[in-house]
Amino acid sequence: MITFPTNRWFLLALRILIGGIFVYAGAQKIGSPLDFADSISTFQVLPPELINLVALGLPPFEVLVGALLIFGVFQRQAAFALFLLVALFAVFLLQAIVRGLEVDCGCFGSAAPTVWSAWISFGRNLFLIAGCLWLWRISRRSIIAA
Amino acid sequence: MTSHRHAFFKQDMLFLWLAATTALCFGLLINQFRDEPLPLIYKGKEERLQVAVESLTTPAIPAASPAPVAENLPEFLTLEEFAEFVDKGGLVLDARPEIFHRLGHVPGAISLPRDDFERAFTALREKLEADKAQPLVLYCASSSCEDSELVKKSLMELGYTRVAVFKGGWSEWQAAGKPEKSGQ
Repeated sequence: MITFPTNRWFLLALRILIGGIFVYAGAQKIGSPLDFADSISTFQVLPPELINLVALGLPPFEVLVGALLIFGVFQRQAAFALFLLVALFAVFLLQAIVRGLEVDCGCFGSAAPTVWSAWISFGRNLFLIAGCLWLWRISRRSIIAA
Repeated sequence: MTSHRHAFFKQDMLFLWLAATTALCFGLLINQFRDEPLPLIYKGKEERLQVAVESLTTPAIPAASPAPVAENLPEFLTLEEFAEFVDKGGLVLDARPEIFHRLGHVPGAISLPRDDFERAFTALREKLEADKAQPLVLYCASSSCEDSELVKKSLMELGYTRVAVFKGGWSEWQAAGKPEKSGQ
């Protein structure tokens, strides 16, 4: 069984790293929603009626929840929300890889879509899933223990 | 333990709902203050370009039916053919976003970005309309980008008859160590 460290400095660093990634990613996309909408459309999952709403709503969501995670406000809930977000994104990425689509995740602004960029995003996603899941579990445990 | 879990899950879902609603409201609010607000329904790149082309065809430019590329200008140019075209002073159009054109482009190339086609075409109208049969070669970032092909399609709909694409794009031009120019 894999054991994750519970050292408070490690957890603080993890919160800053993961929260920082989401704040940065969200801030990059707030300024160019059209590029992000184009990136979302390459996944061929959402209908046109939802693409622009996601392109407008997701970047502020990432900034807001990422900032809450960094500052440890609603830490458990923020970690849970980000975990669901990255898990959902991993499913979208996997279906794109299986279908052989050239996708650009648009995570940090737009870039030319390639099959490789999907794999790179997927690897980064695995790290984020593990980190968010761990922060969520630790927060639950510490509250129960208290 | 189970009741804790249940309570946590309810709180987590409530937080998720509240954060998502707040973020969406905030996103919609910022959108209203943009120069060009994003419409609520998404339109693909090709569809957006089509709208721009339609607005350009009336009334100044009479709509023309697409014509095939002239025989002496292939539909797609190799690096060598493109370099020769550039050397001879042919009209090269850069379909990438304008910021990338400013950072570096093929010498002599003029910016005609796919994402700002209507404005850029209007600015170039005089130069381009002088001869709709003049050979034009488009390029974008690399062989995987679609901007040059989309702009080519639009130009042909506007009546330009000799439009070709250099598929390798900026990345192949740079990799071959060909001359570059930056700025406008």
